[in-house]
Amino acid sequence: MGPGPRLLLLLPSTTYRAAAFVEAARRLDVELTVVSDHRSVFATREPASLATFDFSNPDRAAEQAAAFAARHPVAAVAGVDDDTVVLAAAIARALGLRHNPVEAARAARSKHRQRVLLRDAGCPVPAFRLHRLDQDPRAFAANVPYPVVVKPLCLAASRGVIRADGPADLVAAHAILREILAAPDVATQGEDARHYLIEQYVPGPEFALEGVLDGGRLRVLALFDKPDPLDGPYFEETIYVTPSRLDGAAQRELAECAERAALALGLVTGPVHVELRRNAGGPWLIELGARSIGGRCGAVLRFGAGAAEMSLEELLLRHALGLPVPTWERASGAAGVMMIPVPAAGVLRAVKGVDAARAVPGVDDVVVTAHPGQTLVPPPRGAQYPGFIFARGASPAGVESALRAAHRCLTFDVSSGGD
Amino acid sequence: MDREIRITAEPVDGARCRFLTSEPLLDGARRFASAEAAVGSPLAEALFAIEGISEVLVSGGTVTVTKTGNTPWQVTGKEVGAAIRRALASGAALVAPATAGTAAEDEALYTRVADLFEAEINPAVARHGGFVELLDVQDGVVMLRMGGGCQGCGMADVTLRQGIERALRQQVPEIAGVVDVTDHSAGSNPYVTASKK
Repeated sequence: MGPGPRLLLLLPSTTYRAAAFVEAARRLDVELTVVSDHRSVFATREPASLATFDFSNPDRAAEQAAAFAARHPVAAVAGVDDDTVVLAAAIARALGLRHNPVEAARAARSKHRQRVLLRDAGCPVPAFRLHRLDQDPRAFAANVPYPVVVKPLCLAASRGVIRADGPADLVAAHAILREILAAPDVATQGEDARHYLIEQYVPGPEFALEGVLDGGRLRVLALFDKPDPLDGPYFEETIYVTPSRLDGAAQRELAECAERAALALGLVTGPVHVELRRNAGGPWLIELGARSIGGRCGAVLRFGAGAAEMSLEELLLRHALGLPVPTWERASGAAGVMMIPVPAAGVLRAVKGVDAARAVPGVDDVVVTAHPGQTLVPPPRGAQYPGFIFARGASPAGVESALRAAHRCLTFDVSSGGD
Repeated sequence: MDREIRITAEPVDGARCRFLTSEPLLDGARRFASAEAAVGSPLAEALFAIEGISEVLVSGGTVTVTKTGNTPWQVTGKEVGAAIRRALASGAALVAPATAGTAAEDEALYTRVADLFEAEINPAVARHGGFVELLDVQDGVVMLRMGGGCQGCGMADVTLRQGIERALRQQVPEIAGVVDVTDHSAGSNPYVTASKK
C-alpha cells in the first residue's frame, strides 16, 4: 500500500495549536507537510515534511505551494487560524483543491469588507464606519451615535477593541489604538494598520458558535455561552461553556444567522467561528472567522465516544481531506474553558496554586502557557492569555462553577519593575 | 514527620498524562509496555493495577502514563497520584533494571541514536538555542527531553515529529517510537512563544 494523501498544514510559528494539529494528522496516517512562516532547523533535511512559505503574500505562497506540489503531490490544504485563511484558499486555488474561494476568504479576513457584505446581504450587523487612523477624532467625535466600539482591522483576541460612551472616551480610545497599531508587530499590516472601525455597541449576552461548512451547509459543532458580561470598556474573553443554556429556538436563531452570514461572504467549506450577541432585537453578528476556535480552547471540544472519540482538530482535518467523519456529535455532557485573564501588567515570576486548581472537582486541566520572565500585557494592548482552565461536568452551571473555583486557586506573581 | 510529596499532573492529550513529582523516582529512564514487563518494579506494578493503564514511562522525577478508555484524567490521575505516593512512601526501590536480553538490543540502538543526536539533531536545534537530551532507549522506544529554546517552544511538537522523529526513523529504522518527557511548562526561554488567539 502506498503512502497516504499529503496534507499541507499551514502553521504560523506563533500558534498555540501546533501540537494539537500535528497529533491529529498522525492519527489519520496522512503524509503531513507542516508549512510555516519561519524556517525549521530541519527544513533542509526533511524538505517533504517541513516547508517555509511567505505567509505575508498569498500569491507568492501559492507559487511556492505549486512548486512544492510538483515534487510532492498534495491532496488537501488546511489553515489553523485567521492568519492562514487567505493563504489556504490561495494555495488551494493554485493546486486545484477543494476550499473556499479566495475572495470569500479575503472577505472573512477583513473586518470591514465582511461588514459591508453582511450589511448589504441584510444580515444583522451593528452599524459601522471605517476611519483613517491619521484623522483627528475630535473632528467628528461630537457626531458619533454613542455608545460605540472602536475596533482595529487587523488584530485578534480583542486587542485594541475599546468601548466609548462619549467624545472623550472616543478620543482616548483612538490614542490607545494609535499606539497599538504603531507597534512593530502590527505596523507591517499595511493599510489595515492605518484604518479602524467605529461600530455601534450592541448590548446583550454574547455567544460563540463553532461550526463546519459542508457544501455550503452549516453543521453546528457547539454553541458556547459567554457568561461573563462583555460590556467594555475592554472585551477580554474569559469563560466559554457549552451546551448553551439558551432555549432551542434561540439557539436555532443564532445558527441561522451564522449560516446566512457565512453564505453571504461566499464561504462554502471548512471551519467557522462566529461571535454573536442576542437581545430584544434578535441575533446580531459581531464577527465571523473562517477558522476554528482559537488558542488552546479547541481542547474543550471532543467528538464521538469510546475508542472512536476524536479531537476537534482531527474532525477538521478529516473534513479537509475528504475522509469520512464518523460523527459530528460532541461528546456527551457539558464542557467549558476559561482563558485566564491577565492578572496585571508586568513580568511573570511564578504561578502558584496550579495543583489546587487542578484538584477542583470537574476540572480536567490547567495549562499555564506564559513562561516565567514573560511580560504580561493586559487588554486592550495585550493579546496573550497566561493560560487556560478546562472543565467538564453534567451541567453548564457546574462547569462554570468549576472554572471559577479553579481560577480562584491561582496566584500570579507579577513584578511591575523592569529589573 | 511524614515528608510532603508534591505531584503535578499534566495531561498531554486524552491518552497520555505526565506526573511531575517533587522527589526523584529513578536515575535514568525506564519504560513499561505491559503489566508483565512491570513485574519486579513496584511503582510500575502499582500503576498497571489501575484499570486502563497501558504504558508507564519513569524518567527522573516524571512518570508518563498512557491509558485506554474514556475515564478522564481527573479520575485516573488521582489513582495514579495515590499509587506514586504509596510507592515513594514505602522507601523500597521503585523500578528494577531492564532485563538483559532486551537491554542489549536497546543498548545498540541507544548508541546509534546518540550518534545521530550528536552529529545532526543537536547541531540543528542549537541554531534556535535548543538542545535535545537522549534519556534512554527501551523496547526500541526513544525517550528524550528537550531543553533551551525547544523547551516550551510553540513549535516543539513540529520539531519533534517532523524533524527529529523522521530523521530517527530514516537513520535508525528499528526504533519503535519516540516519547518526549519534557516539562514544557517549565521552559523559560522558548524560541517561539504562542501569541495568537
